[in-house]
Amino acid sequence: MSLLQELGAQLRATSDELPTGLVTVAMERLRSATELLNWVRQSSVDPIGVPQLGNATEHAEHAAAALRLAQDAIAAYLAAIGLSGEPSAPPDQDWREGLKPPPEVSAPDNVRPPPEQLGSWWRRRVEELTGEAPPPGDEPTGTPASRADTAELLRRVAGGVRSGDKSRLGRDLHAVNASSGLALSAVTPPVLHRLAGDLLGHEPRADDVARLRSAATGRVRSLLPGAPPAVLETLIARVCRAPVPAGAPAHPADSAVTASVLTGVLLARLGRDPSTLDPAAPEPLRRPPTDA
Amino acid sequence: MASVAEVRAAVDAALQQVTESQAAIQAAREKLGEAQQSLAAALDGSANDAVGAAHASLSQADQQLEECFGATLVAIEQAQTYTATL
Repeated sequence: MSLLQELGAQLRATSDELPTGLVTVAMERLRSATELLNWVRQSSVDPIGVPQLGNATEHAEHAAAALRLAQDAIAAYLAAIGLSGEPSAPPDQDWREGLKPPPEVSAPDNVRPPPEQLGSWWRRRVEELTGEAPPPGDEPTGTPASRADTAELLRRVAGGVRSGDKSRLGRDLHAVNASSGLALSAVTPPVLHRLAGDLLGHEPRADDVARLRSAATGRVRSLLPGAPPAVLETLIARVCRAPVPAGAPAHPADSAVTASVLTGVLLARLGRDPSTLDPAAPEPLRRPPTDA
Repeated sequence: MASVAEVRAAVDAALQQVTESQAAIQAAREKLGEAQQSLAAALDGSANDAVGAAHASLSQADQQLEECFGATLVAIEQAQTYTATL
């Protein structure tokens, strides 16, 4: 390897390892928290920190944009020194970061771990969405949720969707505590964006809304007969970076559950196994674009 | 019917997400610092405009993450003040 090649390899590694995935995780966690607080504070004049979370999300978005600019600048430099043809990491790997175990950073002292007191609230809503009653005597444990629980739940939901088994889907969703279930809202957006891109054969854009709707709506509705149609519409609009339909805040469980089922539907459309949602799984082959 | 315990638990669930976002921000800032050092070492002496742009963008990203973290601290404080009144 020449000195120049070595320099190029080092710069490409630096660019590939920029923490775009971690910033995406932060952004989606903040959006998920905002959605939940917005639902809690409906009709209250107290903002409960929502405007500050909006500011935080905006800063995270600006940070993500700055990282992309840095990657572009490094690519421009590599091109300027004649190294533009060398391969770099596969694009759009941010979805993996959200499904990995969280970094070991201690929480601020003033934040206590949440007690699990939303169990019956979660199960009531899951029953309304799926039409499946909770299994008798099968209360989930009150242990704190972790991102690993949520990643595993997403794979199980995808398995239920693939088999078309609504009872299994209901059981899996009833079996987790509310925190693990609600966290689906935070881990699914980058996964959905990636899967939709693979299905469409390009980055999802606003004029893909109809194609994705037609690819997913029937199956999502059959598995979640109680889900308000606006929730799926909002999710598809977000995936396609299209304007989100206006309306009252959705029930947080609706967004979380529908997003996980939509993930399963897109995965099934791509003919991929739920195990491909493991962040350590090898990169799936991208097939040519289809008429979604 | 919702109870105070449920409202408080819902706010706590949201704050757990915020705490996880803080952890991700801190981890991102650490990685960003490493990237800045690596870039500075590799490109020491370069006068190329793209190098300056890369350094500036990384500094900007770090500053935005710092402000993001600060905003989450205020949000947590406000939410906790609210739940204390319930």
